[in-house]
Amino acid sequence: MGSAARGPYGVPLLAAAGAVFGAMVLAVSAGGRDGGTTTTLFSGMVGGLYLLTGSVVHLRRPGRLGLRMVTVGIAWFAEDLQVSTEPVPHTAGLFLRSVASACLVHLLLAFPEGSLRAPVERALMGSLFLFVLVAVPAGVPFYQSVTPNLLFVANHGQLQDEVIDGVQVVVAVVVGLLLIRRWVVATPPARRVLAPVYGVGLVGTAASLAHPALSGEDAQLVNDVAHLATLGLPLAFLAGALRVRLGRTAVGDLLLALPQGPPEDLRDLLARALGDPTLRIAYPSPFTATTSPNAPHADSAAYPTSAAHSTSAAHSTSAAHSTSSAHATTSAHGASDDDADGYVDAEGMPVVLRLADVVTPVRRGTRVVAVLLHDPALRADRHVLRAVTAAAALELDNQRLAAEARARLAEVRASRVRIVAAADEQRRRIERDLHDGAQQQLVTTALLLRLARDRLGPAPPDPDLVALLGRVADGLDASLRDLRELARGIHPAVLTEAGLLPALRALAARGPYPVRVVDGPALPPLPARVAATAYFVAAEAVTNAAKHAQASVVHIHVRVTGGRLLVTVADDGVGGAEQRAGTGLLGLRDRVAALDGALAVHSAPGAGTSVHAELPLPVEPSGEAESLTPVDAPGHDEPSLPTSLPPEGP
Amino acid sequence: MISAEIPSTPSAPATPSVPPVLPVPSVPPVPSVPSVPSVPSVPGVPSGTATRVVLADDAPLFRDALAELLHRDGCEVVAQAGDADGLLEAVERHRPDIAVVDIRMPPTQRLEGLRAALLLRQRHPGTGTLLLSQHLEVAHLDELIGRSARGVGYLLKERVTGPDFLDAVRRVAADGCAFDPEIVPMLVGAGARNRRDELAHLSPRERQVLALMAQGRSNAAIAAALHLTNRTVETHVRNIFVRLTLPDETEHNRRVLAVLTYLRSS
Repeated sequence: MGSAARGPYGVPLLAAAGAVFGAMVLAVSAGGRDGGTTTTLFSGMVGGLYLLTGSVVHLRRPGRLGLRMVTVGIAWFAEDLQVSTEPVPHTAGLFLRSVASACLVHLLLAFPEGSLRAPVERALMGSLFLFVLVAVPAGVPFYQSVTPNLLFVANHGQLQDEVIDGVQVVVAVVVGLLLIRRWVVATPPARRVLAPVYGVGLVGTAASLAHPALSGEDAQLVNDVAHLATLGLPLAFLAGALRVRLGRTAVGDLLLALPQGPPEDLRDLLARALGDPTLRIAYPSPFTATTSPNAPHADSAAYPTSAAHSTSAAHSTSAAHSTSSAHATTSAHGASDDDADGYVDAEGMPVVLRLADVVTPVRRGTRVVAVLLHDPALRADRHVLRAVTAAAALELDNQRLAAEARARLAEVRASRVRIVAAADEQRRRIERDLHDGAQQQLVTTALLLRLARDRLGPAPPDPDLVALLGRVADGLDASLRDLRELARGIHPAVLTEAGLLPALRALAARGPYPVRVVDGPALPPLPARVAATAYFVAAEAVTNAAKHAQASVVHIHVRVTGGRLLVTVADDGVGGAEQRAGTGLLGLRDRVAALDGALAVHSAPGAGTSVHAELPLPVEPSGEAESLTPVDAPGHDEPSLPTSLPPEGP
Repeated sequence: MISAEIPSTPSAPATPSVPPVLPVPSVPPVPSVPSVPSVPSVPGVPSGTATRVVLADDAPLFRDALAELLHRDGCEVVAQAGDADGLLEAVERHRPDIAVVDIRMPPTQRLEGLRAALLLRQRHPGTGTLLLSQHLEVAHLDELIGRSARGVGYLLKERVTGPDFLDAVRRVAADGCAFDPEIVPMLVGAGARNRRDELAHLSPRERQVLALMAQGRSNAAIAAALHLTNRTVETHVRNIFVRLTLPDETEHNRRVLAVLTYLRSS
């Protein structure tokens, strides 16, 4: 299991060395063979087949599987050393008398990925290797065999044989159960891969179990079957390993053949193909730079990246894979800090990564068109994953474009709301700045001027000066009046101080001609932006009516019904306002639309003009009503928060 | 600092203009005429008889200037406060005749002054409350008056430069009331458009009298302002009440309350 196995030729080289080793073993042990059980030819064929198939598997599917198979072949030869009649190889063989079985169990459990997945598998293999590499060698001095044992001290051979047999039974049962479980939970593609090994293994096991119970020709036949099964097992491993590749193209064909349906269909398709029902598809957000979640690759290969771990961790051993989910749930945050906002779903909504998610980018050319968020266990089937992502890339790219469009639309809508809120906030701030700044200073200046004028006394030395100061005072008064009107036009303080209805009444009261506010039942608390929008619509409509309508009266109707605030401004004037529906109303139409509302103007010539706005209210207006609550204190008037307004009675 | 001159209303041509009280164009603006001083305004009078004032405004410059104005008019400014808490504390301690309160004060610069004024009116009925604001709102006026128009006032802040301000202070301090001339048309517009016709039935003179009544003036003050005799004013008042079908009252703040109630009602 050296690092040499990682290179493409490390495993074949190891196999070649194993072949040389095997030939030597066969040569030294040939004399001790019992022709009835294992011949030199059979032993050599079994070991050689493992070396050969392991090399082939490794070349076709780089990974640990080929290495495991070659290891079984070498261990197979090593076990044969004990058959030798020469004392030295025989004694050496005693140390290794059970390693082939352990390696075979390891191969079985790790097939087809080459790595163990479940903790129970790792625990079993750990104990087993401890047994065959420590416990069994420790018993060598106490084992008397026909060929002289060079280290012999005392004979407890029978005990050792019983212990080894017992361990074999236990391991066989546990392995059997694990294999059964794996078969049960396996997806159909996975079963296709497992089938050859399971088939051959089942035949061999049945034959071995049946052999002692039979005699004569039947026994010979069954024995031959068992031998053939032993020979066939490495070939079955090879077949299974190659089936992974076959399965991969099958998945690809399947995907390409399928009609391109809605996003959910594609997700279900991929989830089924990859055997991960929790699989999700996400698309790079159009608003973040398209940074690849992994180092760029020349081809469109898919290499998974763990969401919870660094890239290097993602490529670590299977042991890390299996623990990643448990580990991730205990590590408070890790997944979504950096890249959570980097992905959107098919609807364009941001995707939050789960802690255990593994992110596999899907590329077309160099561009990441989508990512698959899936279970870490899937990483084992990297080749299938690669095939699936390659096949799905085109369709995913299409859906990415759709998702991108939706995300942009959602962003535009959100940004429009933000712009309205920001504009409101700006108006409020300007009003406050005017009030606390210019208005306050002018009032103070006017007061100081009055004090100065009072000082001049009843008999001023210079009447012209008095007249001049009087004009200054008048100018200050006029400025204050102008400023007050300006501030009110920018944002009427009463709107935030007392609510929509008082603000509309004040609007009506200031009008140069009759404006009546007609309200139904008391209004519920309104979000600040809804109240402001309603107010500005009414103000604009009233202004238009005053300018153009020649009306005798204007009515402002306000009421809340069905979760919507309805504002209607109707006059009995000349109508015909549609054509000249000013830019003011046009701007308000955008503003109303930003709140998902609607604005309609009806103005047939001679029938008066009515401006009708409908503004949806949030489902749950927060805040409670209190008669004198300032609507939004500084620091609380976040535009996005619905701010409560006091209830408005008559 | 203390000048011997008695502050006088400017008689110069540059009289600060008061907007028309009622939105009837034909009525000339109410002339600004010195009110009849109910309290002799002599600087340096003993504190026992001087009007005792607490000022609340978060702008120290304005506060100081206003304090000087009041002082020169013979008022005693017993305390100044920069926020509502300070105001309530000062009133608790000094029990002044009047608190002059800016409506916007820290921390939120919204309605702190109004809220403090409501508390004052509830806790210290003997202390008049004069609310100053840079804009007038009928909604705030309704809150402020509540059920009684005694010892209460609501003026635009810039009125402090006008000739009637000191008179308004004294009126409110003496349990009377004082309302900004601009609020009256707003009251009419806000609640009583349908009564406009009835108001139109009043004679111009009666409208003038009503406007001054709505500001909280006494009959004597109205008489002085319009150069009429007291009896004439009383006749006008009775006529107004009859034409508007309001009960006759002699006490002027009740009258104002009645007028306001009438104007607000719809």
